[in-house]
Amino acid sequence: MAADLDYPMPPTAQSAQRPLTGAIPMSVQAPPYTGQLAAVRPRSGSTPVLWPTVAVQGLRMFYRTPSTDTSHGRRAKMKRAVLNVMGQEPKVTVRALTDISFVANSGEQIGLVGQNGSGKSTLLRIIAGLEKPTKGQVLAESTPVLIGVNAALVPDLPGEENVRLGCLAMGLSPAEAQAAIPDVIELAGLGKSIYLPMRTYSSGMAARLRFAIATAARPHILLIDEALATGDAAFKERSEARMTKLREQAGTVFLVSHAAQTIEESCTRAIWLHHGRLVLDGEAQDVAVRYRKWAWAFAKDKPEEAKRILEEAFAERRETQVRFDVPEPPRGRVRERHARPTGRDAKQARAAAERAAAIRAERSDL
Amino acid sequence: MSAGPETGSYAALFDASPTTTKLVTLGNLSRVGARPPLGQYVRLLWARRHFLWADARAKVASGTRQSLLGKAWLVLNPLIDGAVYYLVFGLLMKNERSVDNFIGYLLIGVFLFQFTTQSINGGARSVQSGKNLIRAFTFPRAALPISVVLRNLLNLGPTLVTLAALIYLVPPAEEYTWRIALVAGALALQVMFTTGLSLLVARWAAALPDITNLIGMTMRVWLYASAVFFSFDHLLANNPELKVWLEANPMFIVLDIVRDCVLYATTPDPMRWVVLGGWAVGTLVIGFVVFWRAEESYGR
Repeated sequence: MAADLDYPMPPTAQSAQRPLTGAIPMSVQAPPYTGQLAAVRPRSGSTPVLWPTVAVQGLRMFYRTPSTDTSHGRRAKMKRAVLNVMGQEPKVTVRALTDISFVANSGEQIGLVGQNGSGKSTLLRIIAGLEKPTKGQVLAESTPVLIGVNAALVPDLPGEENVRLGCLAMGLSPAEAQAAIPDVIELAGLGKSIYLPMRTYSSGMAARLRFAIATAARPHILLIDEALATGDAAFKERSEARMTKLREQAGTVFLVSHAAQTIEESCTRAIWLHHGRLVLDGEAQDVAVRYRKWAWAFAKDKPEEAKRILEEAFAERRETQVRFDVPEPPRGRVRERHARPTGRDAKQARAAAERAAAIRAERSDL
Repeated sequence: MSAGPETGSYAALFDASPTTTKLVTLGNLSRVGARPPLGQYVRLLWARRHFLWADARAKVASGTRQSLLGKAWLVLNPLIDGAVYYLVFGLLMKNERSVDNFIGYLLIGVFLFQFTTQSINGGARSVQSGKNLIRAFTFPRAALPISVVLRNLLNLGPTLVTLAALIYLVPPAEEYTWRIALVAGALALQVMFTTGLSLLVARWAAALPDITNLIGMTMRVWLYASAVFFSFDHLLANNPELKVWLEANPMFIVLDIVRDCVLYATTPDPMRWVVLGGWAVGTLVIGFVVFWRAEESYGR
C-alpha cells in the first residue's frame, strides 16, 4: 500500500465546496437491514422503469495503520522512543477511498475496474454495510449481499454441514437452507468430497464451495468480488452460467473484475477507480477500453502515455453529487438541509472551472 | 505511480470536474449497515436463532473432534478437574473438616464458576475472533458473544450430568429432594447474568483490546471472592461488613442456592432469589443496550 501514499492528493479543503452532501436527518431513515432479502421484482417487459437502488454519497475511507516506511511520520524522538518501547510502529493514514459519489439504478450492471489496491473491494464492502466509512453514507433499497470468497466456514465440519451453516448465516430459514443444499452441492461439484471435513480440501475446492454457498441467497442487490476467478475451467463455466442467472434475477449488480473484458461483455456501466479516487463513471465499453489502454501503457513502462490517458479520463469525468429528496419531513421537526450553494461556493467553483479550462486548452495546444 | 512535478495539475482537475447533481428520492432507500432500533434488533437476533444454535453445536463438536476420545472429553475434563481440586483443597489443605460434603461443595463451585469464566473470556474475544463473519455477513453482532455463551452452555450440559452422578454416588451420597428443581431457576439466572456481562465486556474489548488481559485477572479475584474452594463461614462470624459484600456477589448467590438445594436439602432464602434476579435482569438489559449502541463500530 506504500505506493498509494505517494499519490498526489488534491487539497481536502475542496470538500467544503459541497454543501449538498449533508447527512440525511436521522428521523427519516427507513429501518436498516431487515435480515431478509427483498423479493425479486417482476421484470417489466419492454419498457424498463429505472429507479435508484443504491445511492453512494461522498464516501471516504481512511485507515490508520502502522508503517515501516521511515520517510513517513517524522515525529519527536522522545515520542518515537516511547512508542517503540510499547511495540507501536509509526502510523500513517491510508486513503483507501476519497469522495466517491454515484447512484446505481435498477437493471444496471456496474463493473468496477482499477489496479490492485485501488479501493474496489473496499467500496464493495462498504456498499454491503460490512465496513463503516470514515465519512459519507450508502443508501440502498434492500440489503446488498456481497458474494466474495470469504464466507466463514468451520474446517472440522464436512462440506455438507458447512453449506447448511453458511446458508443459515446468510439469513435463510432452516427450511430454505434445506431446500438450497442440493443445488449448492451440485454447483460446487465436489463429488464425494462434500462428505469430508473442510480441512481436507485444497484451496481451490474450498473456494468453489464458498462461492456455491454464496449463490444460495437470491439478493436483489448483488455485489460480486472476483468470484469468477476461482476454480478450474470446468467449474468456471458452470459458475458463469450461475452468475448469469443470478444477475438476471437481481435488480442491480456490482462486479469487480481485473479482466476488463468481462466488464465489457457483462456490464452496462463501469466505474474506474484509481488510488481510491473515481476516475471515470460511464458506459461500460468506453470506460473498460480506456482502462485497458491505461493498463497496457502502464505495463509496457510508458508512464507518460499512462498519465495522459488517466488525465484525459479525469478531465472528462463529470462529478456526481448525490442529494436526497426527503418527501415530507415528519412532524416538521427536521430542518431543510439542501441549501443552495452560497455565493462564495459558486465563486470558488467558477474559479476552479476556469483553471481546468486553461489546462485543457494547454493540452489541446500540444 | 508516475507522480511527477505536475502534482498541481491533478488537483486542479479534481477541483474542476463539472458536476451533476443527482436528486434521489429517499422513498424506500435506507442507510446500509445502520443500527436498527432496539426492538427490531431483538427481532433480527431472534430470526438468527437457527444459525446461533447450529454454530454453537458445530463449535462444540469441532472442539472435540480432533482428539481420540472425542466427546468423552466433555465428561472427562470436569472429572479430572474435580479430582485435582479435591487433591489440593480437600486432602492437602485439609479444608474438608470445615465443610459438610466438601467434594460436592467444591465440584459445584468449580463447574458453575467455570461456565461464567469461560463465557466472559470468550465473549471478550468474540468480536475480534468473529471478524471473518462480520466481514462476510450482515447480522446483528450481538450474535457473536451470545453464541459463545450458548456454546459454553452446551458444554455445561454433560458436565452437570457428571456432577449430578458424582454427588449421588461418591460418599457422602446425597438424596435428591424436590429442591433439585430450583437449580434450573438458579442456572437460568446465572446464564442471563453471564450473557449480559459477556455483551458488556465484548463491547469494551472491541473498543480496547488491551482489556482482555485484565479480564483474566479480574475473574481470578472474583473466583476467590465467591467461596468456590473454601467456605467463608468462619471469617463471616466476626466480620458483618464482609458478609454484606459476599451476599451481594451474584456468583456466590448462585453457588449458595445450588449447594443448598443439592447438598444440604435446605430451601434457599427468598432474599437470595431477589438479589440474584436483580443482577440477572439488570446486567442482561444493560449489557444488551450497551452492546447495541456500538453496533456500527464492530465492523472495523
